[in-house]
Amino acid sequence: MIRRLLFLAIVLAAAFAAAPRRWLPSALAPAQDALLGASAYREPPASEPIDVRDVEPPCANEHPEWREEQVIEGVTIERSPVCEPDNPYFIAAVVKGTSNVSMDTLMRAGMAPDAVVKENDRDGDGDPDDVHIKLEVVELNGRSPDTLELLLQYPIAPGISPGFWVFAPKGFGMATRSLEDLRANPLYRVPSPVIRVEQGDTVSITLENTHYLPHTIHFHGVDHPYHFHLDPSDLKTRVGNDGVPETDEMAVMPGESHTYVFTPRQPGTKFYHCHVQPQAHLLMGLQGIFVVEEGRPNNWVETLNPGAGHVRHSSVAVREQYEREYDLHYMDLDKSLHELVQQANDPRLIARAINRTYNIAHRVASYFLLNGRSFPFTFRESLVVVKPDQKVKLRVLNGGLSLISLHPHGQALTETHLDGIEVPPAAQVTRDVVAIAAAQRVDLLLDTTNDGLHSYGDGVWLFHDHNEHAFTTDGVSPGGHISAIAYESYLDATGWPITHGIDWRPFFSPDYYRRKIPVWVTYDDMRMLGEAGSVTPSPRQVVARMLLAGLLLGMLGAAFVRPKRRRPRL
Amino acid sequence: MIGARILALTALIAFGAWAEETPVDHAHHGQAMEGMRMSAAGMVMNENTDRLPRDCRQISRDVDITVRAGRKYAAARPGTMFAYDQPVWDSPACARVTVTLINDDQVRHQWMVHGLPRYLYPEGMFHLEVSGGGKESGTFIVPSAAKTYLVHCDVPQHAEKGMKGELKVAGGDGDLPSIPGVSAPLEPDRYRTRWDLATLSLGAAAGLAGALLSARLLRRR
Repeated sequence: MIRRLLFLAIVLAAAFAAAPRRWLPSALAPAQDALLGASAYREPPASEPIDVRDVEPPCANEHPEWREEQVIEGVTIERSPVCEPDNPYFIAAVVKGTSNVSMDTLMRAGMAPDAVVKENDRDGDGDPDDVHIKLEVVELNGRSPDTLELLLQYPIAPGISPGFWVFAPKGFGMATRSLEDLRANPLYRVPSPVIRVEQGDTVSITLENTHYLPHTIHFHGVDHPYHFHLDPSDLKTRVGNDGVPETDEMAVMPGESHTYVFTPRQPGTKFYHCHVQPQAHLLMGLQGIFVVEEGRPNNWVETLNPGAGHVRHSSVAVREQYEREYDLHYMDLDKSLHELVQQANDPRLIARAINRTYNIAHRVASYFLLNGRSFPFTFRESLVVVKPDQKVKLRVLNGGLSLISLHPHGQALTETHLDGIEVPPAAQVTRDVVAIAAAQRVDLLLDTTNDGLHSYGDGVWLFHDHNEHAFTTDGVSPGGHISAIAYESYLDATGWPITHGIDWRPFFSPDYYRRKIPVWVTYDDMRMLGEAGSVTPSPRQVVARMLLAGLLLGMLGAAFVRPKRRRPRL
Repeated sequence: MIGARILALTALIAFGAWAEETPVDHAHHGQAMEGMRMSAAGMVMNENTDRLPRDCRQISRDVDITVRAGRKYAAARPGTMFAYDQPVWDSPACARVTVTLINDDQVRHQWMVHGLPRYLYPEGMFHLEVSGGGKESGTFIVPSAAKTYLVHCDVPQHAEKGMKGELKVAGGDGDLPSIPGVSAPLEPDRYRTRWDLATLSLGAAAGLAGALLSARLLRRR
């Protein structure tokens, strides 16, 4: 009996000692404090030191010579004072046509000689009227049977490399930069290149399907016949021209090619994309801006603009009204779709994962891209660089699913064209939030006249979607497709904007987007908002709780296990 | 592919080609290259018809290899999409090899061999490339050592999806990973498992036998 009472007392005492303070009646709490000494001041843990590792330089400054205005193959290429300007040899090759430039230019551009063939000035106005473009299909950040490292590496932000499929200009040679440098060669990037032709040109676009799944091209909003006839005298042989495997044509299978032919009669900013399983293929990156430029004499257009961005050789009609021109291609991605190509190598397993396992009904956008990159990489190549008193043309496509509410700090934008069709001048709206739904295009006039309406003057004015989700990369801010309208007076010699706020180093570390770096770390010299350290548990509390747990375990054991009776020894 | 590249690099180092190479020519897009022929139909890079590898006194013989490339050659191997008509080619030491690549698809294919001595072949590479429906030939001279060279198509995902092979000089020195029909991948895919009754019964029987055995052994004590 005494033993049992003693046991009960021990259990009660242990429970009293082990109970969290807030569970006890207020009269008893001080007694527990007295027993454990918990009410004595214990210093909260100090802030942990923060190690910002693997920081890459904001601007590698690989090709400073590409920024200057230059003339290559007789093509004038506008100055482009950003950190990573487009390769001017590439621009020269696509303006003249890869069939009309020197071997040296072609080698520097990295394109096949038949990538962009321009010929036949049929109307004698000084520019070629037959354009033949060849596009291949390329997988970025893809899978290998021999390593878990990704192939054709293309990070959209530090440490983030989703799988992509893109249309790419027909290339040659190695797909990586070299045998040792496994980054994708610069031709292979997101988004698919902007295609630019002149109104009235006969445009042939050959899809050479180098990919392991079927694809097509649908030219959205670009004037094209549903079918065309290879031989005009034989109207029975129809070639599909709308890019829809369910209606006008068979899909282009791996290793096959298909040519689309049309003569666009109306100018404007249009769209092209794959129409095979669009809920996956289009969002995987098989989409691009298609621009039909107004017809003018001697109008040599920049037929391909890889990765969109600054147009360094604008058409004659654009130059009549604008000093600069930018193609801005927005996308949003659900990372769970883009991981699927990295999880298997067998095309059948990839097809099953993409078409049947993945369910777009459960889609959540995780990454937001402008011209194929997220912040801070957007600042390397997709700044809208301006000077005061300029008129700048922005061609904007929303290639994602989220509604974009595009907002420039310090300026108001005028909507001149919707889906490539001009808004009557009297009806044009100037505003500071431009709404763009999926697949819509809006042409915007950015007027940098400092009049308090169109512009408030020089600066590095943020240019972003006011849907705050798009401010983030997988929920971490700042990320997403934030960019800026940067006045040249605020750019340094490498094209990097001169800022007056926090240190950007953490944004160039993969750890930042893995949520390992406290956000305020660069705000706070005194580190009062750093990472709170950890505490060691009080030994007395640990002893009390473990003792109680042991007693309860023992009670349970006693209830179920009968002691063995020893056989009396004889 | 990287694994194979690393393998090729390691092999290079092993043969000492690394030490005796001329300065590394980071020849890639954006730079002109020597020994290159290019046309709309295709290109040949680092062709070499007469310069001998240092370990060869003379060309031992001329070897002609015809390679066909296309999706149809992958049809017989489940899980691939592109292939050469055969995955392995042989050559004697110090042979002058002329490869003719015939492309039976309508897209670009390549026959790119890695790991050759860099003092003769920039980046250790000989490369044939042919547009859809085309045909191109090129010649190079192999060294004397018994070595297996990686051959692949570097159009994105073609090697991964089956267009990969090996050139064995003087019998080669083993097989590279994930050569279709020859060797297993280092990171194989996982497929659904379907159990048949026989395997299931065998497994159950083995389990039961194990249980009985341990019970028996323990009881003896």
